[in-house]
Amino acid sequence: MSVKNKVIVSILSIFIGFVLAIQFQTSNGSSQRETRDTWQVRAKLQDEQQKQQLLYKKLDKLEAVYEEYAKQSEQEQMDVLKESIIELKKKAGLLERDGAGVVMTIEGIFIDSPYAQEYPTISPELLNRLINELNAYGATDIAIENERIVNTSPIRYVNGKTYVNNHALPDLPLNIYILTENPQRLIDYMEVSQSMDEFSIEDMSMEFTLKEKITLPAYQGIINFEAVEVNEEIGEK
Amino acid sequence: MWLPAIFLIIGISLGLLTDITISDQYSNYLSIAILAALDTLFGGIRAHLDRTFDQKIFVSGFLFNIGLAVLLTFIGVKLGIDLYLAAVFAFGVRLFQNIAIIRRRLILQKNTEKQDN
Repeated sequence: MSVKNKVIVSILSIFIGFVLAIQFQTSNGSSQRETRDTWQVRAKLQDEQQKQQLLYKKLDKLEAVYEEYAKQSEQEQMDVLKESIIELKKKAGLLERDGAGVVMTIEGIFIDSPYAQEYPTISPELLNRLINELNAYGATDIAIENERIVNTSPIRYVNGKTYVNNHALPDLPLNIYILTENPQRLIDYMEVSQSMDEFSIEDMSMEFTLKEKITLPAYQGIINFEAVEVNEEIGEK
Repeated sequence: MWLPAIFLIIGISLGLLTDITISDQYSNYLSIAILAALDTLFGGIRAHLDRTFDQKIFVSGFLFNIGLAVLLTFIGVKLGIDLYLAAVFAFGVRLFQNIAIIRRRLILQKNTEKQDN
């Protein structure tokens, strides 16, 4: 084969290989289709940016704590550690906490009708949705009557009663205490929320009162760490 | 003989590195063009082993086959018939034939080399 022929065969081989690779990528890469419009993409981008901001903030905080650890003497280090423990306990809901917030009162609606009306009760699903909604609108801590809601708080239906943290809820009217950074905003959100409608369907009404200072009780139970393991790679739980 | 294989691999790695994709509607044309190109390539290798390799035939066959295959596909899409199957069939059969002939030639070559030794 002459050199010229070799060159031509080589060039065509490269071309074929190139096109083949393109075809591979095309048939592999198109399994997931982009169906979001610009607005959705923009909203998602904003979400991610906010998340990034939040992570940066957290990182800053942690770095500050780390620096404190590094600087101080042993006695001071102990103090800082103790402070950290208190801070973490606060976050987990193991300590009492007070601050500006909202007291939400759930009452039954009784209609004057010729038929007997059942006494309204809160079902676990309803409560779950309400708590989700409160969290979505910026609630930092929630307590239902005397039961502080922590990350692992169970809400269950036992023998016709709703149990929170393994204690039965009292009958209506019921108070829910909510700590939040912006109470008025939370009230505004809740006034037009889905939960409001859902509770009215079940013959219950919600009322909100803004309080400058409310105190939430601590979580009484023991948080079970049996299933929690330290992740060796990143050193986190 | 090894030249096309080596350059094919170089081409594939180049293509994978560049991260180019084409839109879905043209992937049919691309796949049929690849088939035609492969057919020509193997035809060329066979001709080389037959010692009848001609540069003009090789290059013109390459371009013409690809053009014809894409044209057939295009007409098929317009007419609503799967006309590209004709190209797939023709190129497929030729591909197998060529590869079979190449294989035989190589085995024969090996055998004669052994006997010479």
